[in-house]
Amino acid sequence: MTRKRGLWFRWRRYGIGRTALIGLFLLFVLFPLYWVAVTSIKPSSDYLAMPPVWFPAHPTIVHYVAALFAYRGLEGLLNSLVVAVATTLLSVALGTCMGYSMVRFGTGGRDLAFWVLSQRFLPPVAVVLPIFLLYRSYHLYDTRIGLVLVYTVMTLPLSVWMMYAYFRQVPRALEEAALVDGCGWWGAFWRIAVPLAVPGIIAAAAFAFIGVWTEFFFALNLTSRNAFTLPTVFRSFLSFQGAQYGESSALAVISLVPSIALGMLVQKHLVRGLTLGAVRG
Amino acid sequence: MRGGIGARGLAGQRARREERSALAAWSERHINWLLVAPAVLLILAITVYPLGYSVWVAFVNFDFLIPGHAFVGFGNFAAVLNDPVALHSVVVTAVFTVADVGLEFVLGLALALALETKFRGRGILMAIFVVPLFIAPVIVGQFWSLLLQRPFGPVDYILSVIIRHPVTISWLTEFPWDFIGVILADIWQWTSFVMVILLAGLAGIPAELHEAAAIDGAGSWQGFRFITLPQLLPMILLAVTFRLLGAVNLFDTIFMMTGGGPGTSTYTTAYYLYQTGFQEFHLSEATAGSWLFLILVSAAIFILVRRLLKVEEA
Repeated sequence: MTRKRGLWFRWRRYGIGRTALIGLFLLFVLFPLYWVAVTSIKPSSDYLAMPPVWFPAHPTIVHYVAALFAYRGLEGLLNSLVVAVATTLLSVALGTCMGYSMVRFGTGGRDLAFWVLSQRFLPPVAVVLPIFLLYRSYHLYDTRIGLVLVYTVMTLPLSVWMMYAYFRQVPRALEEAALVDGCGWWGAFWRIAVPLAVPGIIAAAAFAFIGVWTEFFFALNLTSRNAFTLPTVFRSFLSFQGAQYGESSALAVISLVPSIALGMLVQKHLVRGLTLGAVRG
Repeated sequence: MRGGIGARGLAGQRARREERSALAAWSERHINWLLVAPAVLLILAITVYPLGYSVWVAFVNFDFLIPGHAFVGFGNFAAVLNDPVALHSVVVTAVFTVADVGLEFVLGLALALALETKFRGRGILMAIFVVPLFIAPVIVGQFWSLLLQRPFGPVDYILSVIIRHPVTISWLTEFPWDFIGVILADIWQWTSFVMVILLAGLAGIPAELHEAAAIDGAGSWQGFRFITLPQLLPMILLAVTFRLLGAVNLFDTIFMMTGGGPGTSTYTTAYYLYQTGFQEFHLSEATAGSWLFLILVSAAIFILVRRLLKVEEA
């Protein structure tokens, strides 16, 4: 009785419109996720059923096996992992150094800040062709190293700015104490400032990883048979769509898990990550 | 003999130590630039150098099949500007951008207002709503091709159940449904981006403002119109410009859902340049087109980056 009244109360207080909006959006977000997950375990005979099969009577993992081995999904997965991890390490290392220097020494001033930040908004299509042409002549086309270099530059603005925002909060007094003790600036940076900034470094690393993990355009144009990443494997489902619902869904599920898990871990920093550190969430 | 070697070794050691301490002093003096240098050099190598190189490519005839690079002046630019598909792609990009960002803004604002006050389960809802932000856009395209597939996709079926009349929309191949399908996918992915930023903005509005207005007898609409909206404006501008610069590059979902088709009707600028450069190998023409595109969006980039810097300095 009281419970019912409580619910009714809440319903009235939050308003029907508000509840409906949130409920509908929840359905809108969840349904595609559900549909892809279910399709990935449906036997092929269930695709063509009308009305659609909402949940298969005989779930199967054959599509996962096929996606990983027949469609070279496993190779894409490994390439993605190697490239994403290498990029993350490089991007965060360079970003930490640069962010620190900009905060403590004001290096480069506004102009350098503007220049680094604007790299983030350079349309990929405007730079991919020249990079492609140069990669061909320097033998970086279709190599993991080539991808790592491009992705590092792509994620650097975020790394630099997240670390910039973080170092601004680290009190200068600690480093000054280290300088008095004869540490030198390098010691103060490496032994005092960097350990204090570890939470910021982890957040920046997570966003760099997600950025690389979900990137498609550069990978599509700068790799072919060797260094191709997981997102580019979806190309192979295009020519004969129709028949490969299960395989493409299985590969989608495999690709979603790491980036969503990481995203959930750094949700606290989400606003800052999305806005290059400009908004404190 | 032994003594000689010993003495020479000692002198060498001292020299080396002095050398090292001189290096240490030098690196200590220039630590600011040494910390910045690796990142700057990498950006120079990966974007600035190729962009400079591409200026040359845009003015010659660069073709893998034709030896030599004949200077053609503005010929490549003229070829792009005279290509009806290129101009059409700019219109398509503008339509998608305005529709995507407009709808994402309205829906994102409504959701942010609906989620502003705390209630039980709000944390879980937020966690679910942001999931699409962590998914590769190309996979979002795959999601929606699957949902909108005809005749076996669930969307047509659900619609026909709702209106009790068979629905057979060819979402991916028929105007205007192909546009609507691509826009749906974009809204699905990016609405929560706007929502999250606006929620952060709403949280920053001091409660006293609303209290004071309530004492003065302001209704909830007036509170929204004269307090929430103006206070939120900087965040709105930030979220919208961010999305604008994302939306003009629309490529991945087009690639997966329509492939630019039917014909060239859903070519966005990014897709057009990709086709021209990487499928037809008109490299110089595509490079010239890329420059025109870059110039077209550079004003928006300039404004947004200036704004971001201002926020950071505050």
